[in-house]
Amino acid sequence: MSAQVLLFGALNGIGIGMIYFILSVGLTMIFGLMQFVNFAHGAFYMVSAYAAFAIAQWTGSVLPAFLISPLLAAAFALVSERVLLQRTYSLPHEAQILITFALAILAQESVTMIFGTSGKNVPVPDLFSGVVVLGGFVYPSYRLFVVAVAAAVAVLMWIAIERTRFGAMVRAAAENAEMVGLLGFDSRKVFMAAFAFGGGLAGLAGALAAPLRGVEPLMGREALAIAFVVVILGGLGSFSGALLAALLIGITQSLMSMIWPGGAHLMIYGVMTLILAFRPTGLMGRS
Amino acid sequence: MRTRREILAAAAVGVAAPALLRQAWAQQDAIEVGSLVSLSGTFANIGEQVDIGSKVAFEYYKTAAGKPLRYVQLDDQGDPGRAVRLTQDAMRDRGIRFFMNCTNSAIALAVAKEAASGGGVYINQAGADEMTGSLCNKNTFRWPVATYSAVNTTVRPFMKQFPDAKKWYTITGQYVFGDSLLKNLKDVLGEVGGQHIGNSYHSLSDREYSGFITAAIAAQPDVLCICNFGSQTIDVLRQAVSFGMKRNTKILVVWSTGLDQFQSLGPDICEGVYFGANYWHGVDAPGNRLLTGVIKAKLKVTPSYLLTAGWACTQATVEALNKAGTTDVPAVIKAFEGLSYEGPTGLEKVRAEDHQVLKDYYLLLGKPKARMRDKDDYVDVVSAEKAFLSPDKTGCKL
Repeated sequence: MSAQVLLFGALNGIGIGMIYFILSVGLTMIFGLMQFVNFAHGAFYMVSAYAAFAIAQWTGSVLPAFLISPLLAAAFALVSERVLLQRTYSLPHEAQILITFALAILAQESVTMIFGTSGKNVPVPDLFSGVVVLGGFVYPSYRLFVVAVAAAVAVLMWIAIERTRFGAMVRAAAENAEMVGLLGFDSRKVFMAAFAFGGGLAGLAGALAAPLRGVEPLMGREALAIAFVVVILGGLGSFSGALLAALLIGITQSLMSMIWPGGAHLMIYGVMTLILAFRPTGLMGRS
Repeated sequence: MRTRREILAAAAVGVAAPALLRQAWAQQDAIEVGSLVSLSGTFANIGEQVDIGSKVAFEYYKTAAGKPLRYVQLDDQGDPGRAVRLTQDAMRDRGIRFFMNCTNSAIALAVAKEAASGGGVYINQAGADEMTGSLCNKNTFRWPVATYSAVNTTVRPFMKQFPDAKKWYTITGQYVFGDSLLKNLKDVLGEVGGQHIGNSYHSLSDREYSGFITAAIAAQPDVLCICNFGSQTIDVLRQAVSFGMKRNTKILVVWSTGLDQFQSLGPDICEGVYFGANYWHGVDAPGNRLLTGVIKAKLKVTPSYLLTAGWACTQATVEALNKAGTTDVPAVIKAFEGLSYEGPTGLEKVRAEDHQVLKDYYLLLGKPKARMRDKDDYVDVVSAEKAFLSPDKTGCKL
């Protein structure tokens, strides 16, 4: 296998990694800020993907869905948080897992009732329907667009968390919610906003993924599995860790698909096991 | 005063009475047929459609062997263990002897064993070669073709059309069914002068295939051949097309489920891609005209493979029962063997030696959206052929 082929494999891996990052960043943010284990993250992703499908059917293009679907997912997350999940903040993680898992099943079955069990196609927008030729290889324009969006999200999130007043408040609330409350800020509202934002990010991932892989009721479960691997490998709650882990998994998966295709999926978990053996808190996690 | 023996006898009758009554009622009134379908779990999208197809067929046929038919839905939830328990319960509690359908080969093989040991008759849609090969049994029949047939009836006509398309790269599901497709493909390529230049295995849990597709592109094949099934076929094809593989590589999907997959993919992706399929609604055959007419009248949809598979197993069971004229299991098995009828793919015949239904398998070509005559007219039929291993080579010993 030539070096050029491996290089292209690595570049493709960066593309896969950026998609994984956008999928998992909302999950790690919610855990990092709120110490909340959200098994409904995949449901936000799935509901948004179906919303993208419906919008594409209605308008003839999926492009409007990239704005509308994340907002719908954020609204879904917000309502879930207000009505149900805020009551579980003081409960053990096991209760949070059970309740969010139930929420995910409810969402999955609702979508099945409305759209049926078979998968649906979401066409790639005409604007990005071609391919870009790089050397002797081709790469889908739409994947490049998704990578660009993911990169923009990474930069904007870093700015929002590290350089804004809201970000400072969120970080402070994550460190010591009681102290933030004593300073006159309502930490519950901060958490509510953070949860909706995390849901919105999952929704953005779902809308962007819909033209890549279509939509079907079980897609949320698959997404959740990958998102958890990224979050655990990167370090629970670490934004930069999620980025690093997503890229590492993407590149591993892509290169292993060329070198040892049968073990490509296995190696994702192999890498995770290896890193956790030496760094139990993940790449960027704090003990 | 009652003796201990009398009390025990009365208790035994009390316990057994409901089951005996149910059995007696079922036997007198109707022929109950157990339908193994996964209505929840991973395979629910398959089970739901097969279930509907069978129900429509039951409503259409109504009777067999002079008795009314009754459909008994058995939801196995995609779990072979549960399917076996449901079969056992149906045999013991309701006296059901006739079974049909499955959503995957593992379920079908498990139920087939149970049908044989319990003295039932079972017809299914399993893909695994073992069903009419090394694991065949006297009580079980299979409607769709085996992987040998699927490969031979797609690759050979494809190679006739494109004799210069020598270099083949495969993306294969790493499970029994995928391996079986791959093995047969390599055999056929060896015979027709093709060259298998590489393969990428993917697991049952893979959903991201760009790495495999990149490896395929790097190998510069003439043909990309996809050897898997279900939603993974859709995902691999969608991603291969998005990577521009249609530009200078021909794509053949050896095993597709036809219309439902085309609807999931959309016409732009299907255009120019070759698909193998067990059924296509556009085929002009008396059995297909009947099926499409009934399905359209009842459901207002065009029949897909999965709906048809549910229908086909019902039809074959009804035909065998009518031929036998009785519900006696050995008689029905005998009636099945050599049975010939106008099925959804034309004249279908049940081979006595291995209980395989001999039927056409289709090579289809995705047509441009502009040429589609209606919303379901995704493909042209390139060829319709029968190709089956001779009975002495299947490994089946009945």
